[in-house]
Amino acid sequence: MQNVDAISTDFIEPKKNYLNNGTTLKSWLLTKDHKRIAIMYLITVSLFFLAGGMYAATIRLELLTPESDLLNTQTYNKVFTTHGVLMIFFFLIPAIPAVLGNFLLPIMIGAKDLALPRINLLSLYIYWLAGLFAIWALLQGGVDTGWTFYVPYSTTFSNTYVMAVGLAVFINGFSSILTGLNFIVTVHTMRAPGMTWFRLPLFVWAHYAVALVMILGTPVIAITVLLLALERFAHIGIFDPAIGGDPILFQHMFWFYSHPAVYIMILPGMGVVSELISNFSRKKIFGYEFIAFSSIAIAVFGFLVWGHHMFVSGQSVYAGMVFSFLTMVVAVPSAIKMFNWTATLYKGSVSFDTPMLYALGFMGLFLIGGLTGLFLGSMGLVVHLTDTYFVVAHFHYVMVGGQVIAYLGGIHYWWPKMTGRMYSEFWGKISAMLVFVGFNLTFFPQFILGYMGMPRRYAAYPPEFQVLNIFSTAGASVLGIGLLLPVIYLIHSLFAGKLAGDNPWMLPGLEWRIPSPPPTENFASTPVVTWEAYEFGEDSGLDLDEARRRDLVTVT
Amino acid sequence: MADHATTYSDKFVYHEPGLQHQFEDMKQQEESVSIGMWMFLVQEIMFFGGLFTVYLVFRSRFPMAFATGSNHLNVVMGFANTLVLIVSSLTMALTVYYAQRNNRNMQVIMIILTMIFGATFLGVKYVEYREKYEDGLVPVAGWNRRAKAESSEHATATFPLETRAQAQEEHKTEGEHVYNNPRGEFQWNEGHHLVDEALKEQAAHPDRHYLTEYEKVGYFSNGQVDDLKFQEKVRSFFWIYFAMTGLHALHMIVGLLLMTWLLIKAFQGTFSAQYYSPVEMSGLYWHFVDIVWIFLFPLLYLLGRHFIH
Repeated sequence: MQNVDAISTDFIEPKKNYLNNGTTLKSWLLTKDHKRIAIMYLITVSLFFLAGGMYAATIRLELLTPESDLLNTQTYNKVFTTHGVLMIFFFLIPAIPAVLGNFLLPIMIGAKDLALPRINLLSLYIYWLAGLFAIWALLQGGVDTGWTFYVPYSTTFSNTYVMAVGLAVFINGFSSILTGLNFIVTVHTMRAPGMTWFRLPLFVWAHYAVALVMILGTPVIAITVLLLALERFAHIGIFDPAIGGDPILFQHMFWFYSHPAVYIMILPGMGVVSELISNFSRKKIFGYEFIAFSSIAIAVFGFLVWGHHMFVSGQSVYAGMVFSFLTMVVAVPSAIKMFNWTATLYKGSVSFDTPMLYALGFMGLFLIGGLTGLFLGSMGLVVHLTDTYFVVAHFHYVMVGGQVIAYLGGIHYWWPKMTGRMYSEFWGKISAMLVFVGFNLTFFPQFILGYMGMPRRYAAYPPEFQVLNIFSTAGASVLGIGLLLPVIYLIHSLFAGKLAGDNPWMLPGLEWRIPSPPPTENFASTPVVTWEAYEFGEDSGLDLDEARRRDLVTVT
Repeated sequence: MADHATTYSDKFVYHEPGLQHQFEDMKQQEESVSIGMWMFLVQEIMFFGGLFTVYLVFRSRFPMAFATGSNHLNVVMGFANTLVLIVSSLTMALTVYYAQRNNRNMQVIMIILTMIFGATFLGVKYVEYREKYEDGLVPVAGWNRRAKAESSEHATATFPLETRAQAQEEHKTEGEHVYNNPRGEFQWNEGHHLVDEALKEQAAHPDRHYLTEYEKVGYFSNGQVDDLKFQEKVRSFFWIYFAMTGLHALHMIVGLLLMTWLLIKAFQGTFSAQYYSPVEMSGLYWHFVDIVWIFLFPLLYLLGRHFIH
């Protein structure tokens, strides 16, 4: 029997856990267990990442030469659109919340499951349905409008499957909304006794903030895409100026969601990084309340800055000024987090395990991505940088250098908890470094390209840009290897990995006080929480002798 | 701490009826589903909110076109629908009331009444939409009643709505096929007299504003009033009207399906004083659909009612 207060260091795998509790396909497809749903999301999300990555590889291959020789321009348009749609809607938005959030949120608050497990399953079904719909549309010929579906091209002139992909996005939105809804309810009503709001891990705070954005923002893209489909089908005159519509209306409605969407993508990543930084410095996180509230602040302010995607669309200069100012403001909570993480590292006992490498990588890369966002938020500069590779580099730094790296860090960190096995630390470190080097080699040249004027979404470019493009593609191959290796060694660990035991990292979090893999009901008896978050010390019940034997110094 | 948790996997334990496995007690379950339903309604508000914002933007830009479009909606039917929905909300609330008091028969009656009112609403909506179809006010080419005028002398090129009554007066009989809409297009052809009137008033009262800045550009081509451009703006009103009421009607249909499920469950005696949460949550959804209509009706039907003289 697992005593929650004492942290066990036995390397045993419990006989009955969520993975072997029912082995039929039906028991998985009809499960209400949040952990099983998380694993099914993990598999699906990884497949979409692979697919989106292949489209990325195609883009980079085409851009090796200045001419549009590998693909003709129309196909190239379809390729970058598909890359964007798959990555954003089917990978980045679900990834951390649906995989790590679903798995860990109930455990971190001491609950048996999410508040609404059947809604969770419905969320998964909707995601699968949307994914199948999108794949069908792609196989039929795809879309070439760019993931932003700007009108009137998408409503009137494009000959591709705009409605189908639009509807796939619409359906997918509901998956997002239901997940967010579930998280909000769960955090409000399912916390174990003693688990007050300010004892919650920052991972939970981040997911609460994300859930707010999901609920408030996603319906707007839903109505936008619906109107887009309606316009395309019936030619009513909503967005098409030739029949009395307003194309800028589309942009406003689209970006009203799509800007908060980027915060849906990054906030969970920041939640993961808070966990990684604190736990791998073995030190209580600096400025807990600041980080918690900054997540909420980002969620709120994120709704006020959508116009910074429309500086050159013809919106008024005064609106531009307001959006520019608010864009500078929204950077502040993120900066607060960076400072707090740095302060956490100071005088911490930092161990450079793979998850920590990813967390440190996040800090550096998100810094660059975030700062270049400020460049793009200032009206004078954005006139030159809009629709150039500078923008592409910026958002890849925050989305890949930020979110994907945080996701990988989280997967590695909680892998032993989810599977009961440790991955190969050697290969983990190699991959982390390949990803970091490959990523920078891919995207840093793109800042320079953008600054020099290379436009985005073009299959052909002037020959003077070729050298940097070659660097970028070279980097992409390294990045590709770095991203494929984890697939191999993580799957390998399932069969041949060392048994992890309950608490392989020797950490005080609630998730480390239950067996790995956890039993279906998570806790044998409801825990009563009497400790603060990130408490490293004797009172947390950590076996200090064991920690010293493993050369881990706890810093209180 | 309740005992349910410790005996989760081992012993048999008494569970209150309808208690889900992840909850400790009914109170937690009720709280959770309540917050869940309210969060769902919040996102529905954002969903409709997008359309309300679109309406707001277009109406503030082209108030004249919107007002004249609004005047061609059937305010009697709209008002009837409003009353029908309000009463249906009453019967819905009574359903919850009776569920709380273990009165199965009255619950069932109230749900049936609610459904009847809901169906009435949809029926009236159908009649209204049919009217628009007849009048050539559906903003999609080909989705209006097609009619070919036999003789081109008495046929008007398109069907001018302001003067529909006048046209019928002039030609006296239906048989003269005044209405000519061979391709079932959106019909609106008399914008310019409204704009001319506004310009006249403006000239007479230079200190007052009769046209917005957008209208001063939007209704004109080369300095002249352009009927086609005016028509575009009225067409905007009508697509917004159909989009908003259509989306609302879809939600009504979902509401009726929900009521069907509730009816079956209530008939089976599932709900009692201890367990009536599903009735309450369904009630919340129904009231939400009602309140969306309460906003829609004045915004679409009532604004600018006496704008046109």
